[in-house]
Amino acid sequence: MRFLVRRSALLLAALFGMSVLIFLALRVLPGNVASVMAGLNATPDRIARLRQELGLNRSYPQQYLDWAGDIIHGNLGVSVLTGRDVGVQILSRVQITFPLILLGLLLSCLFGIPLGCASILASHAKVRHGLHLLALVGGAIPALWGAMLFILLFSKGSGLINIFPSQGFPDNGWKQPGSALVSLVLPALTVGIIVGSSILRYTRSALQEMLASEFVNMGMACGMTRVQAVLRIGLRVVTPQLVSVIGLTFAEMITGVMVIENLFGLPGIGSMLVTDIGNRDLLTVQSELFVLAAFFLCIGFVVDVLHRILDPRLKNAALLSSAGGV
Amino acid sequence: MLRRWDARQITQYQNSNDRENIMAENLNSGDARSTTTGTTGLVHDDQHVAEQSTGTAGSTDDSLNSYQKRHRRVPPWIWIVAAIAAVAIIVGGVFAYRHRNSTGSVAATSHSISIGLKLAPTNLDIRNETGAALDQVLIGNVYEGLVARDADNAVVPALAKSWTVSKDAKTYTFTLNAGERFSNGDALDSKDVAWSLNSLISNDYVNAQALANVESVSADGATTVVVKLKAPDATLLWNLTGRAGLVLDEDAQYDAKTQAVGSGPYLVQSFKQNESLTLKANPHYWGSHKAKTQTVVLRYLTDDNAAINALKSNNVQVLAPITENLSSSVSKDGNFVVKAGDDTDKFVLAFNGAGSKTSDKRVREAIRYAIDNKALISSRGGADAMLGGPIPALDPGYENLTKLYPFDQAKAKKLLSEAGYNASKPLKLDLEYANIYGTEIGDQLRSQLKTVGIELNVKVVEFSAWLQDVYTNKNYDLSLVDHNESHDFYTWANPDYYFNYDNKQVQDLYAKAVSSTTNSEYESYLRKAARLVSEDAPADWLFNYRVTTAYRKGVTGFPLNLNQFQLPLWNVQYRA
Repeated sequence: MRFLVRRSALLLAALFGMSVLIFLALRVLPGNVASVMAGLNATPDRIARLRQELGLNRSYPQQYLDWAGDIIHGNLGVSVLTGRDVGVQILSRVQITFPLILLGLLLSCLFGIPLGCASILASHAKVRHGLHLLALVGGAIPALWGAMLFILLFSKGSGLINIFPSQGFPDNGWKQPGSALVSLVLPALTVGIIVGSSILRYTRSALQEMLASEFVNMGMACGMTRVQAVLRIGLRVVTPQLVSVIGLTFAEMITGVMVIENLFGLPGIGSMLVTDIGNRDLLTVQSELFVLAAFFLCIGFVVDVLHRILDPRLKNAALLSSAGGV
Repeated sequence: MLRRWDARQITQYQNSNDRENIMAENLNSGDARSTTTGTTGLVHDDQHVAEQSTGTAGSTDDSLNSYQKRHRRVPPWIWIVAAIAAVAIIVGGVFAYRHRNSTGSVAATSHSISIGLKLAPTNLDIRNETGAALDQVLIGNVYEGLVARDADNAVVPALAKSWTVSKDAKTYTFTLNAGERFSNGDALDSKDVAWSLNSLISNDYVNAQALANVESVSADGATTVVVKLKAPDATLLWNLTGRAGLVLDEDAQYDAKTQAVGSGPYLVQSFKQNESLTLKANPHYWGSHKAKTQTVVLRYLTDDNAAINALKSNNVQVLAPITENLSSSVSKDGNFVVKAGDDTDKFVLAFNGAGSKTSDKRVREAIRYAIDNKALISSRGGADAMLGGPIPALDPGYENLTKLYPFDQAKAKKLLSEAGYNASKPLKLDLEYANIYGTEIGDQLRSQLKTVGIELNVKVVEFSAWLQDVYTNKNYDLSLVDHNESHDFYTWANPDYYFNYDNKQVQDLYAKAVSSTTNSEYESYLRKAARLVSEDAPADWLFNYRVTTAYRKGVTGFPLNLNQFQLPLWNVQYRA
């Protein structure tokens, strides 16, 4: 309980620090939304009037307080360029990016963890080395190239086997769940292969350490086979580590899948951020970044709590250390 | 832990016996050795496996050994045959599948068509939001002006069926067609016209400067509009074909950023920023350009490769523009047509007229001589046209000025040495341009200028950063922009524009051109002014971009000329 309180306080402090950092960092960018709106051939008068209308003339502390006040009230603001509610905009993008990441992570776990175990346990040295090589090669594939390869192989129209659509998301979104899901298959496969390779490598090295550990020895001393000991005890011990890796990968992929979203014409979060920053729609960008940063921090929070649940040793360690502190 | 042990597990258990014996030894032999237990165990395990695979018995008990799995050696040729068979089956399946897909379609006119475009508008507010992407899709489709442009960039009737000009060229009287309506059913009359033009001027909406010469706009009866000018203005009619002449509904209430109410053949059904704009035939349309296709979806595809994939997979039936360099895979495919159309885009490499180095005319001339425009064009696929001055072929006042500064490296070097630059003191210049034009063009310019001894430092930045540095602060040596607007010679007559180009003679000639009362007079003044500008070398007009469009066979009525600035869609049809 004490842990939860302390961890939550840390979360709030981090959120505050983040908001200041985001606000200031964006103000360093050259250019402003007024001149982008006014475009070429605009008179300086027009730009000045737009600045006035958009409230860009207010002092920075004033702008920050207004924005932070809105955020606390749960109001992410309205984009001055598109006239749309930022919250709604993020929500519509999240509906594409998150399923894509989840599907990709699912595929990568299905591919990474079993093969990671196999790369340690396979009886043939050739198989083990082959799997290690697969992990290295898979991890070295550039997302863009891998995606292009999948398009060439499987896309409708230009692919060798034209089964999956390679462009865009259905106009009605998830109201057509079938075609929405199908349009995510190729991008998710790309994500799955690349992230799966890193999970494979991670599982492999974590289990490799386990092989040399007393956990496995103990298991085998109790009469388990080596395979049993590694899978039942070794894997269980490394699970918290794997969970943090997967959690961080998830957070990293929110913007990391941008290249893939772009190539497959999926209107996800990455492309939203790039356009809005390009247009210097700063109020929108800072709200979007804040939501993302908050999400990042929350994932960290969840991972830490999960650690506690998955690894009872941590609880005892904290108790011991706090007891020692008192 | 130990569940039902069957014979096989017992075998395994026994197989691993000797390894565990070693481990037990290690455990007994103290800390120093036990740290290496894992690795020893592993190495030993490998050897053990090797023993197994070579067929050495794992146990001394024959009855147990008989349960052991034996690794049988498969002759290599079986693998090869199996691989060939698998490949053959896959390839056969693929061809069968493709064959099935490619047959059996029946030609029928489609009710909807998808068109891939590149640059997306940020919102639909045509009065406040700039950018050609908005003109392109809304003017002529959703909004209509008093007058319009045809495919050769000439003025033709639109909402106004005819007009007369007074002798002193200061009064224009427009007569509207009868029975005009907006897409919400409201009638469109001369009051809407007067309100639209007057509010544009008084609120200083986008392009209001095009009507700077207008004194008053008034309605005279339901179908007559009178525009009075302060002074004759030869550019007025053409200006009215653009945003300045659009007629909006005074009474309509809608969010202009996401919706649009106009009188054109289409209405906006939905707009998803950076994604798509869906147009639907306007049921209240009044005129002769009735939409032939019910639904037109405009998809915004920023990635060039993704755009081509979308075309090939029939997600879009038309792609405008297609990158010339990537179009070969499409043009080779018999299902598509790839064609280039004329355009007024001028890729302007501007030299800062007030820059510390570029204010020297010899430097500017040297750069113009040093640039091989032909090589630039051919490296882009060869569709673009040479352009020697500020006016492109589709605009009034055009003259071929490409002979003024031909590609001549010797002359460039000579001018540079006259200006005081040589190998030990090379001319160093910065080029700043927006990332939407790609990095190749900057690299090419750097290598071309290097051969005459100019060191070009290329900065590719975001458009908003360019707007700040170059356009607003005029802090640059060289800048590159695609000036896509038609009839935009006025930028050279404006000394405050970012070019920093201030030539009294040009300004006088342009003023005379604007106030001329006949077309031929207008054009001859412009021609003279354009020649003067080009001779001064305030910029190099790298090329006149010509837009290349690719479409699936069966698509008809898609405009090829100028389709990045105006894209009338009423005539487009797709017969699958």
